[in-house]
Amino acid sequence: MCTTPPQCTRPRRPSAVYSHTPPPGYNPQALALGEDVSSFPGDRRLVLSGSVNGQLSGCRDAMASEQHVLVLRVEVEGTPAEVQAWAAASELQGEPLWTRKILRQGGRKKDSGSGDQAGGHGGSPLDPALLPLVPEPGWYVSPRQPFSQPLAPELKARQLVLGAEHALLLDETGQVYTWGTGRLGQLGHGALEAELEPRQVEALQGLTMAQVAAGGWHSLCVSEAGDLYIWGWNESGQLALPSRAIAEREKTVAGAKIPATVGDGDPAQFISIQPFPAFLDLPSGSEVSTASCGSRHTAVVTRDGELYTWGWGKYGQLGHKNTASLDQPQRVDYFADNLLHVEAVICGPWNTYVYAVEGKN
Amino acid sequence: MSEASLSDNKMSATCSLSEELRDLLPQTKEDFKLDFSEKVEKSVVVLLHQARELFYEGKKNECLKTSEIIRDYSWEKLNTGNWRDVDKEWRRVYSYGCLLKALCMCLKTDDIAEAIRVCDMGLLMGASILGNILVKVVNVLQKHLQHGKRPSETGIEELSKKKTKSDHTLTPAVKLGTAVPQLQCPSLEFFRKNYLVPQKPVILEGIANHWPCMKKWSLDYIQEIAGCRTVPVELGSKYTDEEWSQSLMTVNEFISKYIVNKNDIGYLAQHQLFDQIPELKQDICIPDYCCLGNGEEEDITINAWFGPAGTISPLHQDPQQNFLAQVLGRKYIQLYSPEESEFLYPHETQLLHNTSQVDVENPNLIKFPKFTKASYQSCILNPGQILFIPVKYWHYVRALDISFSVSFWWS
Repeated sequence: MCTTPPQCTRPRRPSAVYSHTPPPGYNPQALALGEDVSSFPGDRRLVLSGSVNGQLSGCRDAMASEQHVLVLRVEVEGTPAEVQAWAAASELQGEPLWTRKILRQGGRKKDSGSGDQAGGHGGSPLDPALLPLVPEPGWYVSPRQPFSQPLAPELKARQLVLGAEHALLLDETGQVYTWGTGRLGQLGHGALEAELEPRQVEALQGLTMAQVAAGGWHSLCVSEAGDLYIWGWNESGQLALPSRAIAEREKTVAGAKIPATVGDGDPAQFISIQPFPAFLDLPSGSEVSTASCGSRHTAVVTRDGELYTWGWGKYGQLGHKNTASLDQPQRVDYFADNLLHVEAVICGPWNTYVYAVEGKN
Repeated sequence: MSEASLSDNKMSATCSLSEELRDLLPQTKEDFKLDFSEKVEKSVVVLLHQARELFYEGKKNECLKTSEIIRDYSWEKLNTGNWRDVDKEWRRVYSYGCLLKALCMCLKTDDIAEAIRVCDMGLLMGASILGNILVKVVNVLQKHLQHGKRPSETGIEELSKKKTKSDHTLTPAVKLGTAVPQLQCPSLEFFRKNYLVPQKPVILEGIANHWPCMKKWSLDYIQEIAGCRTVPVELGSKYTDEEWSQSLMTVNEFISKYIVNKNDIGYLAQHQLFDQIPELKQDICIPDYCCLGNGEEEDITINAWFGPAGTISPLHQDPQQNFLAQVLGRKYIQLYSPEESEFLYPHETQLLHNTSQVDVENPNLIKFPKFTKASYQSCILNPGQILFIPVKYWHYVRALDISFSVSFWWS
């Protein structure tokens, strides 16, 4: 099927594809993690392309920010597995900026990294991401120095996601913890105070969550029953709650600028900050299978294979063939129109990646 | 006038605008300096260089797109973490984005008002670049904005009269014995020895009543000078309210929405308006008494407080000495010494720990029983008067009329 290995690095799962830069206009730098058919199964090659090109083999997972690429390397012949941090422009050559060895593996029940049995070419696209969690209890990685952060081992983390200044953790029993800055309600504890240590989101206690996601300043989680809960900053409508900015933009777009004194809505109807988890119903009433957040937008996949997006749309990240922002969920028609069944979605900061398969409807 | 000559006029107006703007800018792109520390990511510096290139090549549309990306990206950085911790380099990047966007906009379209708004965003959230060029650009743009002068139909005197009548019952009585003392032009030494050193509030008279603002400022004048400028406005009667929020709007919008017509309470509060609009600074003076402090004159923070009757600053304390000068309208003020703090129930949250939970004009004594023990002074501050509020002195302020005050924070 493939002749030259680099072209064969087919994305193993959509979560391994990231965008580095605020796109249009500037050469985006993309990062893909794929199966390398030239070596033994399970060995993954990390490919950087765009403004900087580079490759690294023996990778299990990678995550990127504007400044750094973090890579989880596999154990090779006695050398223990390790996490490396590379400068984003380093082309993955020379010495990494920072390294930390993984000395006692464990701490995660479900290890998506080792030995894909099914189909040879990679596991289910729905495998939860590994990084920023590492396969060793007691710490996780962040894309900024000092890269390594302590994490209480008794939390038994199943998934960890990072916002611009906060973190969400899902534990093995499906409970959600948050910490970091809470200025914009992103922690979901009701107050806007910072939390230095993981604190359980009490409003969600008793519900079993299957997934968490963090935007720049908003948070969401998907329950095992397929319900969606969302909270934090609604500046661009990313919570699908009424946004003042969008209402005002519509007023100006709808014709001549309406004088400020006329027809001004009740300010209380707009929500800027939602400091508690809000239950969100999709227009179709569908159950949610997976979700992801960009810096200011949100994308959700339903169990019947449809994609809904809302929030900031200025760079086309919502996929509705325009650049409008939306404060309510809207189905992305492209997939239904092309008879594509959406399986997974991953948002970059200002963009959206979708994994879809043909004709499953 | 024929259609042809009309469009000629418009052409020449746009021409001279673009010439005037170019005169403000460095002649060559090499002189248009883009130096940033490594705090700013390489990809963003690349974008800035591209935008500069596009601008000097005259590619306005592409430059506009690139400067939008620069603005949006740095805007996210400005909104990450506490404002005071945001690196100044990112504020500079934001200013560059605003500058280039505004320039392209007015070279491309004639939406000068929108270009001024973009410059103001740079002035409000960015940091000074290229010799404070955004202030200069706004000056030029304002000259070309035909609709800059939009006098309100109602003068402030008329509005104030209406207000005074209807709100008469709300004017609180200042009890004898608790009134803040008043002094006519005290000497520096007298003020230092009797008020600054013992940290006692006092009203100073005969200092500010000759400032140009006392005669010049009116709603019309403020709209003439600042009408098209974007300013931050606090919505909701006080910042401790649940529904309180901040919004950006032009001074014209603010005046028509919250002063001429009163739908809600809006307050242009604690804003460094005089850095944004230097022209207004010429109408005020820094009180000589500020020289009794240790700081330089540049360290004095001058804030504008402009709003309708009924705006309230809940009982709070500030970390600096304060001269509050009243320019328009009256304000009712209560003052509590820092020694009374134990009776004032400060909020427990970090964010509001300098603010009392007590609504001093309508205290809930069941919730805050010790408040009855708190002793205070009060006054009604009139135009031309300056109130000295010592550092950490608790103060509660309610505007009785449409009011404009200027505060000087010094150390």
